[in-house]
Amino acid sequence: MSLMRIGAFLYSTLRLSTPLIFAALSAAICEKAGLFNMAAESMMLWGALIGVMVNGWTGSVWVGFLGACLAGVVVGLLIALATVKGKADLMLAQIAINLASTGGTIFMLFVVTGDKSTSAMTIQSDTLPKIFVPFKKVPIIGPMLNKQNILTYGAILAAVILYIFIKRSKTGVHIRAVGENPNAAESVGISVSKTYFLTWAISGLLGGIGGAFMSMAYTSAFTKNMVAGRGYIGLCASSMVGGNPIGAMFCAIVFGVADAVANQLQLTNAPVDIVMMLPYIVTIVVLIIISVIKMKAHARKIRSKAQKA
Amino acid sequence: MNKTKRIENTFDIVRILIAIAVAYLIALIILALISDDPLNVIGLFIAGPFSSKKHIGDIFTRMIPLIFTGLCMCFVYAINKFNLAGEGAVNLGGCLAACVAIALKETSVPGWLCIILCIIVGALAGMLSNAIPAIADQVFHADVCVISLMLNYILLYFTTFILKNVIKDQGAAVTASYKLGSKVKLPKMIPGTTIHIGLLIAIACVVFVAILFYKMPFGYKMRAVGINPTFAKYIGIPVTSTIILAQIIGGSFAGMGGAVQILGMFPRYKWESLTNYGFDGLMIAVLARKNPILVPISAFLIAYIRNGADLVATKTQIPPEFVSIIQGIIIVLVAAEMFLSGWKKRLIFNAARKDLNEKEAKA
Amino acid sequence: METHKEALKMENITKIYPNGFVANKGITFSVMEGEIHALVGENGAGKTTLMKVLFGMEQAQEGKIYVGGKQVKITSPLDAIAKGVGMVHQHFMLVPSMTVAQNVTLGIEPRRHGLVDNAACIKMTQDLSDKYEFGLDATATVADLSVGLMQKVEILKALAKGAKVLILDEPTAVLTPQETRELFKQLKLLKENGHSIIFISHKLEEVMELCDNVTILRHGYCNGSYPISDLDEAKLSRLMVGRDVVLKIEKADPKPGRPILEVRDLEKLSDTGKLVLDHVSFTIREGEVLGIAGVEGNGQSFLSDCISGMQRFDGGDILLNGKSIAGRKISDIRESGMSNIPEDRMTVGCVPTMSIMDNVMADRFERRENMHGLFMDKKKALKITDDLIKEFEISCDDRSEAIRLLSGGNIQKVVVAREFTSGANFVLANQPTRGVDVGTAEMIRKYLVRQVREQNIASLLISADLNEVLEVSDRLLVMRQGKIVAAFPKANMVSEDELGEYMLGIKTMTPDEMEGLL
Repeated sequence: MSLMRIGAFLYSTLRLSTPLIFAALSAAICEKAGLFNMAAESMMLWGALIGVMVNGWTGSVWVGFLGACLAGVVVGLLIALATVKGKADLMLAQIAINLASTGGTIFMLFVVTGDKSTSAMTIQSDTLPKIFVPFKKVPIIGPMLNKQNILTYGAILAAVILYIFIKRSKTGVHIRAVGENPNAAESVGISVSKTYFLTWAISGLLGGIGGAFMSMAYTSAFTKNMVAGRGYIGLCASSMVGGNPIGAMFCAIVFGVADAVANQLQLTNAPVDIVMMLPYIVTIVVLIIISVIKMKAHARKIRSKAQKA
Repeated sequence: MNKTKRIENTFDIVRILIAIAVAYLIALIILALISDDPLNVIGLFIAGPFSSKKHIGDIFTRMIPLIFTGLCMCFVYAINKFNLAGEGAVNLGGCLAACVAIALKETSVPGWLCIILCIIVGALAGMLSNAIPAIADQVFHADVCVISLMLNYILLYFTTFILKNVIKDQGAAVTASYKLGSKVKLPKMIPGTTIHIGLLIAIACVVFVAILFYKMPFGYKMRAVGINPTFAKYIGIPVTSTIILAQIIGGSFAGMGGAVQILGMFPRYKWESLTNYGFDGLMIAVLARKNPILVPISAFLIAYIRNGADLVATKTQIPPEFVSIIQGIIIVLVAAEMFLSGWKKRLIFNAARKDLNEKEAKA
Repeated sequence: METHKEALKMENITKIYPNGFVANKGITFSVMEGEIHALVGENGAGKTTLMKVLFGMEQAQEGKIYVGGKQVKITSPLDAIAKGVGMVHQHFMLVPSMTVAQNVTLGIEPRRHGLVDNAACIKMTQDLSDKYEFGLDATATVADLSVGLMQKVEILKALAKGAKVLILDEPTAVLTPQETRELFKQLKLLKENGHSIIFISHKLEEVMELCDNVTILRHGYCNGSYPISDLDEAKLSRLMVGRDVVLKIEKADPKPGRPILEVRDLEKLSDTGKLVLDHVSFTIREGEVLGIAGVEGNGQSFLSDCISGMQRFDGGDILLNGKSIAGRKISDIRESGMSNIPEDRMTVGCVPTMSIMDNVMADRFERRENMHGLFMDKKKALKITDDLIKEFEISCDDRSEAIRLLSGGNIQKVVVAREFTSGANFVLANQPTRGVDVGTAEMIRKYLVRQVREQNIASLLISADLNEVLEVSDRLLVMRQGKIVAAFPKANMVSEDELGEYMLGIKTMTPDEMEGLL
């Protein structure tokens, strides 16, 4: 492979990783709060749709982006409402929200476009700006970074910010305390339910941005079901590293590589459907491996504690 | 005591009905808001599915796959593991049944035997689909829900691969398999409708599952494990194997559902997307409160809502997907313990106070 | 530094739970500044409830609380913390993945530039630790600490929030002897600094060594406050342990037959690596009830879990009817003669949302005589259930009623009915009458004795209820810190004072003394 092609491959990897990073971060903050986020899928779908719609109404791509963020936050808060206030089972509530979102976005799309031929219907959108780097001539790095969308940089930045937020901010520390031992948090006056609401809101925000990338950067339109399981892949990425945002970002990039390889293979003669399975198979295999490692580590810890005593 | 129990039971049913009513109301408001001719559209949505013999028949036809997936999800929900591979199992079951049908088309194997073989293969496909997340969960402690959702995509792409590369009829105008042949076509039951004998198979399955749940030891074990695994362990029930086996048995119904749907409704196999029957099945199981006997009733309800939406879609521009919003709302409201819980507490409290007053009056 | 200002006073506290259980009745006691005050009493004497009231986790119906001479109302733990009351819970309230400093400053983090000022957190924690000679490293991760150090973090947490009165709920239960000595040193240092400490314990020698004054609770009442110097261990034990009403159960002398259950050198390590069963050996023969007395948390639950197969053990062996149960499935163990009345009936002993019939049939629905081909024989099940409902006088509307709707006593009757009629020749009964009404408790005890005599089965009775272990058991063992510390050939000949002395560690029998009695 020539340097050019390596650069192009890395460019596509990074591009494909961007929504996965946002989904992973959305899951990561929930994981830190001891919550299981299966609904990043819904947050992204609504983010993608509302972003495009607001963009259409206002003509401003950035206002559209804000709309996407807000949509994600609303989905997050709905989950918090159902599970914290309504005491609904977390899994069931999220499955319900995902179900409602798949159909709901299609329905909303119709309301806006008035066209029901669902396979063809899309709303076109402006795209968020791309960033041109001065060092585009530098081999590999230049082509990898040049012309990436601003949200790709945003994803990396978001991972760093989230890392600092969780690690160093007062709220972040409280989120972690609630996640590990809600009783301990409650005993020093941290409100567990408020913390859950806040966590879902932040998670929704990140999911919403991921959605905005799908419809306003990766493509320039909203099409139905465009998130296609990326929310779940993000969840896997996060659970591989126990919700560490930086780690989750790198895991998301690994899945991005699988996506990019799949994209490359589609250009060859390889059967397209088999290639499309690749990212999902990788996810399952990795998830199982991680679970086994965690299981072994846990057993080892008990053994070593017993030996010490 | 008895009063409390009666209040709780009645309350459960009333709560579900109110949840459905609330969701329905929201749907009607949405329809009214976006439609140019709201009265007509709402009328179509509510009364349309009952407007003719054919339409009524359509509800029953639509129920068939939903009963199968509803049964599948009853198992999954009864043991408290959200294994959603039933969704992909429908595709896999349908696809492999189609393969068998095509392979046997030119042979001298009698039609009834072909049908049985197709359905068995469908059931095996469903078992396999559900077994993967179940084993990943119980043996490796990987999350069953995430694995099953990923698996659904894999099953979808795998079946489309088979469709495009193994059984594709190059002569057909769209992507579709070879004709399945008339000898595996499930016969119609009632003239003038689309109802086929798949309905009888589905009902037979309901009866079987109800017996398994409530009359056979395995059903007992499953329910005990689902509600209180510690108790199950203490009393000597093998917890892990029960959990895995329940999911595998459940999967067989989803796979069977796919096979029956393909044999009953389509001359060729051509699914290129997920059917949503599995997710609807989960909702049916939630509404039926894991009780297989109630599955046909909740399947009827969902089929009715979906058909109403389809009718609205054919007569107007409104896409049928709006019903998934109703479904989401119903699940959340039924799942939310706090929904109307204040009312329930008041009822129980009042009954207790009345009892007390009566006792005091007697004394 | 002896001051005589009153730090805390609880006056006439009465707490009645909604189910009518009187946990505290008119309790009054006070703690001076710079005093270590012991709060002692048996399980269920009301110590925990009293402290929950003080820490704002429960609200008392009657009574007043004074802190520093002023009457206060404490409605939540936050409230208590703000008023200078800190509590070190028995189950640590720590966040394991965080550092010592982060745990100590949780909720009161100092900040700089909007972020948590880690340096300040560490300094604050380290200063505090150094001041009281806790020897903690503020930057260590809590998960890596030993239990003893974790407890110090808990104490620091309370101190960092300005606690003047510290409640320690059985702090030494999880500690090794060395750690206990160190804790005492630090508590004395805290006392010299003017802190007041309420020390809850069962261990008399610790109370005698550490505390200035002691308040004794018994069955929810206050049995007086005394300066430690006025008491000796024997007197304290008599004040603590005792029966309000002596219960008598008529029973014939046992005629022990062949051994049914043999426990040999049983060893068990807990998840945290503590040796919770230390070479436990005993034998139970047919026709006798062996009782195990002891303050709760001295290994009885582990013993019961090992025998029933719920947990694996790490050394020794358990033989049931001559066969080892090591590594066998629970269904298998039950088949070879085990039945088990568990400590916790709601989470272990039954499925609350299933019917009485389902709960009764749980261990026998698959037996051939209860099956009709492939199906469960409903008629047979109904008959079995109806018979048991009648025999055990279970009051219910009908047998299809969900068991959670019954009263505690009736739920326990369902569990007892199932376990006694399972056809087993060994019954493990762990706290069989806890939390049930007097009538039901008596019925269960009498039934246990009758079954053992008439059916010639064997039973192990683990109980914290003195009446129960003394009257129901034939032979009696006492467990303390995972070991058998005393053995008596005739349970009803043991005086409660004597029993108390062994339970609380004032006396211990040597292996020679117990020879032939195990």
